[in-house]
Amino acid sequence: MGVEYTSVQWNRQKRFYDFALAGGVGAFLLLFGVISKLLFPLITDEILLIRAFGAAAFVLLHVILCIGPLCRLNRRFLPLLYNRRHAGVTMAFLSLVHAVLVIITYHAGGDTNPILSIFKGSPLVGSVAGVPFQPFGFIALVILMLMAATSHDFWLANLSAPVWKSLHMLVYAAYGLLVLHVTFGVLQAEVSPIYVAITALGLVIVLGLHLTAAFKEVALDRSCNDTPGNDGFVDACALADIPEKRARIICLSGERVAIFKYDGKVSAVSNVCQHQNGPLGEGRILDGCITCPWHGYQYLPDTGASPPPFVEKVPTFNVRVKRGRVFVHPKPNPPGTRAEPGVIPVEKIELQTA
Amino acid sequence: MNPKEEFYIGWQSKAPPGIGSQVRQTVVLLLALAIVLGILLGVAQRTIGVSVFEWGKVKSFSGILKSQPYPHLLVTRPGAKAAPATFSSYYLVKPFKFGFDADAASRLDGQKVKLKGTLIYRANQTMIEVVDGSIEPIGSPEELPHATPAVQPVSLGQRTLVGEIVDSKCYLGVMNPGQLTTHRACAIRCISGGIPPVLLVRQTNGPALYFLLVSRDGSPVNKQVLDIIAEPVEITGEVERQGELLILRADPSTYRRL
Repeated sequence: MGVEYTSVQWNRQKRFYDFALAGGVGAFLLLFGVISKLLFPLITDEILLIRAFGAAAFVLLHVILCIGPLCRLNRRFLPLLYNRRHAGVTMAFLSLVHAVLVIITYHAGGDTNPILSIFKGSPLVGSVAGVPFQPFGFIALVILMLMAATSHDFWLANLSAPVWKSLHMLVYAAYGLLVLHVTFGVLQAEVSPIYVAITALGLVIVLGLHLTAAFKEVALDRSCNDTPGNDGFVDACALADIPEKRARIICLSGERVAIFKYDGKVSAVSNVCQHQNGPLGEGRILDGCITCPWHGYQYLPDTGASPPPFVEKVPTFNVRVKRGRVFVHPKPNPPGTRAEPGVIPVEKIELQTA
Repeated sequence: MNPKEEFYIGWQSKAPPGIGSQVRQTVVLLLALAIVLGILLGVAQRTIGVSVFEWGKVKSFSGILKSQPYPHLLVTRPGAKAAPATFSSYYLVKPFKFGFDADAASRLDGQKVKLKGTLIYRANQTMIEVVDGSIEPIGSPEELPHATPAVQPVSLGQRTLVGEIVDSKCYLGVMNPGQLTTHRACAIRCISGGIPPVLLVRQTNGPALYFLLVSRDGSPVNKQVLDIIAEPVEITGEVERQGELLILRADPSTYRRL
């Protein structure tokens, strides 16, 4: 939640996160470098660095891409998601070092502009070994740098969440391009099956986790109830299905709605956090506020507005509680609009707390 | 608290115990993954051959400059002062990704020269990266009769060879490894800049062979081979020996991509 922007709002968890991140990247670079120099003492230093930084970036990208679906499948991985953008910026930096070294080593000092030289490889003529692989990497780098440059919440607020999220979904395009970059590049030069096996395994893990998480999400969306009653309200769920101070997520007219039960009341808000589209319905009511499980952004359940001085707002939905069931009107109210909470009859509260 | 009821918030000072424990285990696993992959990917790299670029060591050389098929220097071998003299052939190139100036080579063709440069070598192949402006003619042309017999081309017949076109400067030592797909972009720039293109023929039983590529009439083919560098290629042409150099004469349009 941001009122004013600082470069990084440090806290204990972020320090721990970055310490582990730097340790992992440092260990990889150091081991790869030392082993390469020991086994192949005549390797050119620039090429050694190109390989080390490129491999580190590609491995880290796999870890980053796995965090999202892992969190969808098991909420206990959420701490890995909390500061994921630092991992993303680190990965972009590793890629940049790799690319700058490639351009200086392989493209500069010749008869052509070094950037143009990247695109002046051999033509596509049906030879696998001849596919120009460096343009794939260059385009991926542009995407990664764009993402890194706009990773701060300042850009999230100024670009708006949907635009920012769409921009950052380009990471999948970058990943696809980098798989091509590696397949038509290093895999054509290396003879060890270990390189092919690791690349293939990484692809299978990333795709497998995303597909598994997607199937889980699709099951929720298929339960979408679009049939309103005469009063326009949709029978959403039983009151007993919602745990206290938590929510049940339902699908109304194609949109996910989080129905929270708290303090004898029921309120419904959009399931999409304004910060990074986190699933509010998987959050909790803490200190009277809906708290997003991704980054802890908070909203008042009846208004959908962040408590002052914060300014984030999400749409609310009109709610009624009748005969132990919760009814929600599928038409969202404008973000931040107060919707009268549904009141749980006293006997219901007593019955559930007994 | 029931571990299933735990709720993590990043801005809180501490994670709930169950979640914290799982995250620590995951972090340890990821660190182990970084270590294993760092070692595995390092060990699994393709063997890198012995090639040397004496970067920073500028030496003086003298010999007879020959401009064909690509500029090179014939250097009298030590201990071979009696006629007929025997010569080593050192390719000549400029710094960065440029071949030796063809016009300068033509002007000095057949003359004894001295120059300064840095050695690049691999197996029996040697190259000098010539310091700009350091070359100058010396001595008299008396040595030419000694040189001439050693550099007369001798035909070794029509051959079909399978290999990879590399730029001789990087492959011989400026970059190691200086071959295959990952080096292709550099090889294209180097050959486009005039570095002699060489067909590298790897032998299973024996050392690699190096064939300087020229057209059927003996002209440089730098610009014609740019689309087929660092790929498996088959070339049929006439092989000839010129001193230490092996030369493959073939029309680049007949090169066959495998």
